[in-house]
Amino acid sequence: MTELARDRVTLSERERAQNWSRRALYAALIALVVVYSVPTFGVLLSSVQRDREISRHGLWRIPDEITLENYERALGGTNVPNYLLNSVIVTVSATAVSIAFGVLTGYVFSRLAFRGSEILYLIVVAGLFFPPQIVIIPLQQLFSRTPINDTILVLIVVHVAFGLPITTMLLRNFFSTIPAALREAAIIDGANEGQILLLVMVPLMLPALAVLATLQFTWIWNDFLWPFILIKNDAARTIMAGIVLLKGPYDKAWGLQGALSVIASLPTLLIFLFFQRYFIRGLTFGAVKG
Amino acid sequence: MKLSLKASQRLWTFAFLVVPLSVYFVVVIGPLLATAWLSLTNYTFSAFASPEFAGLVNYERLTGDDYFHTSLKNTLVWMVAALILPTGGGLILALLLHGRVRGANVFKSLFYLPITISMIVIAQTWQWMYQPDWGLLNTLLKTIGVEKWKVFWLSTRGLALGAIIFAWSWQQVGLSMVIFLAGLTSLPGEMLEAAQIDGANYRQSLRRIVIPLLLPSSVVVIALAVINSLRSFDLVWVLNEGGSGSSTLAVQMYRETFKSLRAGYGSAVSMVLFAIAAIIIVFYFRRVRRLEHLYD
Repeated sequence: MTELARDRVTLSERERAQNWSRRALYAALIALVVVYSVPTFGVLLSSVQRDREISRHGLWRIPDEITLENYERALGGTNVPNYLLNSVIVTVSATAVSIAFGVLTGYVFSRLAFRGSEILYLIVVAGLFFPPQIVIIPLQQLFSRTPINDTILVLIVVHVAFGLPITTMLLRNFFSTIPAALREAAIIDGANEGQILLLVMVPLMLPALAVLATLQFTWIWNDFLWPFILIKNDAARTIMAGIVLLKGPYDKAWGLQGALSVIASLPTLLIFLFFQRYFIRGLTFGAVKG
Repeated sequence: MKLSLKASQRLWTFAFLVVPLSVYFVVVIGPLLATAWLSLTNYTFSAFASPEFAGLVNYERLTGDDYFHTSLKNTLVWMVAALILPTGGGLILALLLHGRVRGANVFKSLFYLPITISMIVIAQTWQWMYQPDWGLLNTLLKTIGVEKWKVFWLSTRGLALGAIIFAWSWQQVGLSMVIFLAGLTSLPGEMLEAAQIDGANYRQSLRRIVIPLLLPSSVVVIALAVINSLRSFDLVWVLNEGGSGSSTLAVQMYRETFKSLRAGYGSAVSMVLFAIAAIIIVFYFRRVRRLEHLYD
């Protein structure tokens, strides 16, 4: 009886200690995440304050008044809506085409290997590691001799090409997880490779395609380097290059810059909120499988 | 006429590959070779002069160029910092958030969120931290009564690079966290339980089981961190255009080529960047291969 009671006491003591360490961990995590989120919060704060107020009292305080003026100003002109439209066109079409290409190459490298295909695959995947700077000069020269020079088509082509390494790698890995018997059965039924890919494989890989679409959308939307270098024509500029360009003449328009940052981040934030699981799966799937 | 199965497969293989690979070779591989050639010329972007072969002149000039020394050194510093700050931070966060925490998903999302945001916006975000008059850091210094509170974080030599790398690490930490978390989730739970039954404490099982089994994820995290550090252009460019000793190879390449119009010289800088990337490519593929055999 006494032994039992002692057992109960020690048990609850251990429990209490565990509870305390859990609470401490929890408090530490909350503190950490609050500090971590401060910079993000600053952009939101700047977007709803007047420049006058920021220059008089500084940014980091509770504002006297919350205003949406900056947002109205950002979206009021023709520039920003046009940049946003360009970004949407470039991002959606380059995402779609690069994934379609990845389906084709990934399928070949996984199921239709031929002599030399391993080397070819390595050459494609090596592109994952190329800093884009190493091809900028010749690319710019190349495009300047084509009729699509200085249009959003240039951006689409570049993003499709630079998207091929990641889409090929992830989709090859994905095709390799589909049982070979499925393809063999289709061949016996008289299907050709085009039919197998389109009618048997693609329906099975919709989740994988969603994963890739979220990744590609985010990267292409957020890209700055290519429009910065390849686009001189304001009508073809995308939002990230547009924001940086507007910083020059609006050096002290802090509120406007904050509002532009928020507006430009909304599409990828929404994608992140709704497709978070896909997004993280994409990064880790490629990551863990190499 | 009916094609044999083999011939038909070959035809389809060709049909599937021809367009994607053509685009890839024209836009990526071809220009890469062209950059290698341009780095051996005195090309200046002039409409009147075409590139003329100049041998290794550009590379010789690199050896005596102080700005290049700074850029190269900064790029290497950045790579080392990338291995410590976001990688170490991500590992700690992953260990803290793995498993037993309630609401872990909310924490994960908040740490992960900056990864989905453009470097251009990240730059904006950190400008509000580093701004000399009313940035958060100087506001804090002023509040706690530091006399010389007005620190010019982004335009002081010795501070600028660190400030930029810190902002970069702030964004990247979520990426390594996610990859480490995936590695932790794939750990066999029985193994940890068995260790616990055998009397191993947290530290011991961390060192003997968790860390070794996280090796594959670590290779990926490290490769990503290093590659992303090689690309570092956007953030530097927007924060201070590579001034105050914060230039990287990617920034110098842009400056030489598009500001000074020395395309030949800029190409030589590009090739140095490529050489570093090539070392990592070889290391990564060999490592991944070996790991694959290990886990087969």
